[in-house]
Amino acid sequence: MFITFALITLLGALGMLLQKNVIMAGLCMVATFFGVAGLFVLLANPVAAALQIIVYTGAILVLVLFVIMMLNSHEEEKAQAPRPIQRWVSLALVAALAFGSVKLVLASSGLKALGESGAAVPQAMTLQKVGTALFADHLLGFEVAGFLLLAAMIGAVALTKRNL
Amino acid sequence: MDKLASMLHMTPAIFWMVVKVVIVFAGVMSLAAVWTWVERRGSAMIQDRIGPNRARLFGRWPILGLAQIAADGIKFFFKEDLVPTDANKRLFWLAPFLAFVPALMGFAVIPFGKSFVSGGQTYHLALLDPGNGMGMLYPLAIGGMAVYGVLVAAWSSNNKWSILGGMRASAAMVSYEIGLSLAVISIFMTTGGYDPSEVISAQGHLPWAWNIVRQPLGFIVFFTCMFAETNRLPFDFAEGESEIVAGFNTEYGSMKYSLLALAEYSHLMTASALIATLYFGGWQVPFVKDPTVMLSVASFLLKMLFFAWVFVWIRWTVPRFRYDQLMHLGWKVMLPLSMANLIFHAWRMSQGH
Repeated sequence: MFITFALITLLGALGMLLQKNVIMAGLCMVATFFGVAGLFVLLANPVAAALQIIVYTGAILVLVLFVIMMLNSHEEEKAQAPRPIQRWVSLALVAALAFGSVKLVLASSGLKALGESGAAVPQAMTLQKVGTALFADHLLGFEVAGFLLLAAMIGAVALTKRNL
Repeated sequence: MDKLASMLHMTPAIFWMVVKVVIVFAGVMSLAAVWTWVERRGSAMIQDRIGPNRARLFGRWPILGLAQIAADGIKFFFKEDLVPTDANKRLFWLAPFLAFVPALMGFAVIPFGKSFVSGGQTYHLALLDPGNGMGMLYPLAIGGMAVYGVLVAAWSSNNKWSILGGMRASAAMVSYEIGLSLAVISIFMTTGGYDPSEVISAQGHLPWAWNIVRQPLGFIVFFTCMFAETNRLPFDFAEGESEIVAGFNTEYGSMKYSLLALAEYSHLMTASALIATLYFGGWQVPFVKDPTVMLSVASFLLKMLFFAWVFVWIRWTVPRFRYDQLMHLGWKVMLPLSMANLIFHAWRMSQGH
């Protein structure tokens, strides 16, 4: 199951990068998000999986695709002057990031504990637990995020409406 | 049950899972097919016509034109499968599946009858057992995925009418989803849980304790939003004969069109099942405290089919909305109503009710 969802995620991400057609790239991204949702389910967190699908694939990507269709430019624009060095720099950066993250995971204390005492059966996440965590442990962060979103919403309305 | 399972070399749990998958998918699909006939006969009844009554089983038994479904199916299978020259072929093929699969999947979490114990094992009458952690979030998530069927079908046809239809429909679906979610959240709040089985057992067997009585405002919002979500008249902005021909499925024919049409009716079934579960006590039988399993299934089916009929009824009696009226209704009426409902129930709960 893990391999299936990981493959969906990775192939979707690769497809998104390599597709020249913007709409196809968007749909590949949908596949990626779907795979990530599956991985969340495997991590005993079905709430995050449902929210991932509701928020990212159900709302955000629909709006992104919507705007792409409105603009009516479905092909990726060619670069005005090709700069091959960009590719090499990005490749080096990706390699460094991958190496660093793998090293971090392998060196973490959690992995050592897992090797010594074995995996505990995880408790499935429920909406109640998410709510408690948000409102009891992370209240300030939650309120700040809410405030930020409200400000962004008002800003968007103010930018698009010329005469308020 | 155990004997049958051991005859097929399966454990009872796996056997029951297979049986449930067959019941749910075959049931929803065949009900959706039957509902195309109900729609045509119903519209004829409402408009004082006769409707399809010519198709006969083996050329002999008319049975109210029910053979029309089989005739339609056979015709769709043998029609030429056309793909427009300038269409994006891969997506054009993919779109009917993108529409049809979420439409069928949405039903999986809904309990269509009372759980029962047999041979020391509990059998749940829902594809996803209670306590799966997704609960009512699952149909909302799958409902969100349904937009892609319309959007991809519209864009891949490479037809201006199709794109117009698909874009209006997806805009409407996304806007109405907000009001819908807020209405569902107020049910989560008063129930204290978000699993459909919890929602049903919290409502009890007395009709005046059902959520329709407790949250009439929420019901109105949810019901209206369901019409936008299923793209049914009066909110059918994916189509619109007088403006954009058949909208997102203009270029579709043969079995691909049939899948798109079946997807619409499967959505209708899931929507009516959701209404029955959230607001009308699901499989609870009015005034019967501990119904038998068959009675509970019958009660659920009756409620669900009643609402499926209401969808047909409203389609043929209420005139269509204009696009700006639809958006106005969604953002300026349904969303505030839904928020008011949420805040009212939060206030009541804080007062200790």
